[in-house]
Amino acid sequence: MTEKKKERIDIHAYLAEMEDIPGTRVFTAQRARKGYWLNQFAMSLMKEENRERFKADESAYLDEWNLTPAAKQAVLDRDYNAMIDEGGNVYFLSKLFSTDGQSFQKAAGSMTGMSEAEYAQMMINGGRSPEGVRSKKGGY
Amino acid sequence: MARVTTGITSSHIPALGAAMQTGKSRDDYWGPVFKGYDPIKEWIAKPENTPDVIVLVYNDHASAFDMNIIPTFAIGCGERFKPADEGWGPRPVPDVIGHPDLAWHIAQSLILDDFDMCIFNQMDVDHGCTVPLSMMFGEPDEWPCKVIPFPVNVVTYPPPSGARCFALGDSIKAAVESFPEDLNVHVWGTGGMSHQLQGPRAGLINKDFDLKFIDMLINDPETLSKMPHIEYLREAGSEGIELVMWLIMRGALGDKVKDLYNFYHIPASNTALGALILQPEETAGEALDPRVVHSGHSLEAAE
Ligand SMILES: [Fe+2]
Repeated sequence: MTEKKKERIDIHAYLAEMEDIPGTRVFTAQRARKGYWLNQFAMSLMKEENRERFKADESAYLDEWNLTPAAKQAVLDRDYNAMIDEGGNVYFLSKLFSTDGQSFQKAAGSMTGMSEAEYAQMMINGGRSPEGVRSKKGGY
Repeated sequence: MARVTTGITSSHIPALGAAMQTGKSRDDYWGPVFKGYDPIKEWIAKPENTPDVIVLVYNDHASAFDMNIIPTFAIGCGERFKPADEGWGPRPVPDVIGHPDLAWHIAQSLILDDFDMCIFNQMDVDHGCTVPLSMMFGEPDEWPCKVIPFPVNVVTYPPPSGARCFALGDSIKAAVESFPEDLNVHVWGTGGMSHQLQGPRAGLINKDFDLKFIDMLINDPETLSKMPHIEYLREAGSEGIELVMWLIMRGALGDKVKDLYNFYHIPASNTALGALILQPEETAGEALDPRVVHSGHSLEAAE
């Protein structure tokens, strides 16, 4: 081969950078694997009959999904940060908060430690500034 | 010959659909957003501007595709696509009617052009696909044109690079131009702009990044396409990565474009919103008046 060698991205450096953002858990393969059942559970709520069964007995319904105890507890508590720690992804989990009749804004706000009203006001004021929350290592 | 006459970008957030359905689209909060879209709605309703077919680039938000299958680039080649039930029942909007002849033509052309596409026939389309249609066409009994759904994975990492998306757009353009029927084709890029929906950093908005992104998308997409994922994540939030899809639209318009309309607003729920009408410079129509509309927080005074 006489062609110029293709410039490749170093996967290890790429994945390491993904972990460098404060307050953010990028949905990497590692998280996707960890959260497989949690996310598939959430997907199941796209069917009305499953939503009904889930609402009737959350704990029993969750037991059908091979969840870790921590993931199950996080769902019961509607603790979205904990669900994301367990490998949940917000687009999957949206089926859960939609089932609860909640909006994206309420669910996203619940992960910030702010009250719903404070979060809504922050958005109206132009949102959260990226200043200081771009990089853990760089601190900028 | 079919031609890509226009590129449009739009937000696709579910809250926009909800605002329409619940009659809130003219209230204090949503009014400026829908006002910003009014000129696009008027423009696209003119017969000479209404597309025959839209290649609608969006990301499936874990609706048609779960963890079982994660296609990087997919194309819907079926006759029709139903609105997905995302947990609150399907959006009450018409089915999306496909254009299987053109879709299969594009799919085959892309594969021959080294883009190894995933082909779908049966697929429900979520808010990513149907909200932009609602924003452009309102609440008709049926959509005024055919739509080829073109989902891109931006959920599970890694999504495709900006450069790959930009090159894909160019291949879509070539594919459309080799379709013998005389069709007015739009390519829409949806999603964005800066937003983060997860974790303690949720609510991130970066106006400077967004406005620069729009400017570069119009004037220097080649350089923009080289921006690495990490920069999207740091600057535009974890869900801001959706913006790579805009580069597919831009790649389908050729070297130089004219921006007919340029709307930016903060906030729409958790997001900053950008909606553009772009046309290839050689065949561009008249710009709208006003051409640039900025609204929302700290933006009233813009141009
Ligand atoms: Fe989205």
